[in-house]
Amino acid sequence: MKILQTNAGALTNFEVLDFLRFRGASTDPTRVIANVAPSEFQVYDYLVQSAARNQTRESIDEFLTSCAKFDLAKAEKLNLINIRPSSAAEIDSIVENCEQRMGNEDEALVKMIIEMLPAPGKPEGIDEDPTEDVADQEAMEAVLPSSTKPGGTDEETVETVGDQDSVLTL
Amino acid sequence: MFFLSLIEHTLRLPPHLLNLPLDQAIKGELETLFLDKVIANLGLCVSVYDIRNIDGGFIFPGDGASTFTVNFRLIMFRPFVGEVLSGEVEESDAKGLRLSLGFFKDITLPAHLLPNPSKFGEDGKWTWDFNGTELPIEKEDEIRFKVHSIRYPPIPVEQEKDAKPFAPMVITASIDFDGLGPISWWV
Repeated sequence: MKILQTNAGALTNFEVLDFLRFRGASTDPTRVIANVAPSEFQVYDYLVQSAARNQTRESIDEFLTSCAKFDLAKAEKLNLINIRPSSAAEIDSIVENCEQRMGNEDEALVKMIIEMLPAPGKPEGIDEDPTEDVADQEAMEAVLPSSTKPGGTDEETVETVGDQDSVLTL
Repeated sequence: MFFLSLIEHTLRLPPHLLNLPLDQAIKGELETLFLDKVIANLGLCVSVYDIRNIDGGFIFPGDGASTFTVNFRLIMFRPFVGEVLSGEVEESDAKGLRLSLGFFKDITLPAHLLPNPSKFGEDGKWTWDFNGTELPIEKEDEIRFKVHSIRYPPIPVEQEKDAKPFAPMVITASIDFDGLGPISWWV
């Protein structure tokens, strides 16, 4: 085996998720018929409960063109897309020397992220207005007293995925 | 977190796959060979992205199988140092924590990379003492951590009977920064 190129390109979580979805991975029981290996399913399950689940190619493109003015490194943009921070404290761990480089602009960056990249609110990525997603998420958290995150399944069994769905449709 | 790597490999295609279309047979063989395996310095192979080139098809004397030289791209899971990832707590003991990403469970968070005044309680939980407020790390929390280093230990020749299963790729994580640790600490 010969390694021709160790790094032929970085992929965001969204791109890997899209690739797996294109191969046929999904969270419902028809997944057993899909041409996807169990180890790939574990990756899919992890990505589906991360911020990547509601993203689209267009929203990521928009985000990249708008954050050109902040002069961020490629790795930092990748991290921002994958993590989708929603407060200034979270930006500090992603962008190096945040105080020096950005100073007061970090609030503007956070606001832009919240506008352009959809919030990881609902499980089956419904691409609505992102502010609406955040409002719905708060309403749901008020109704459900438990600490389960909306759409976040920790176990990889199909049974618990089914349970989670029934709880959220209340 | 994920990178594409371009690999060239000489693949022997067993004769019982001769009835399949070539690209399908080769993809199947590559998946059996690489999927869910760790390649040193490249990371954990998640998936075969595409096949760029298939060359060859020679049959060596005395063999019933044909040999192909294939160029293909693999999606590798290889976080870079300084990347922020989000995972769950799998184990918690006096030496630190072990985190998991579902598909990858060998992420250690040693005690010295926890935010400074942290202590280990008798109930098995680590707690951060932030200016008087006690912030515990619960087992169901989603933890954001920064990758501190990645090691690929060499395969051991011998192991004792009860030793932990060998981990070919170990990530050391740190949560000693603003914005890291359980999300509930910062929201």
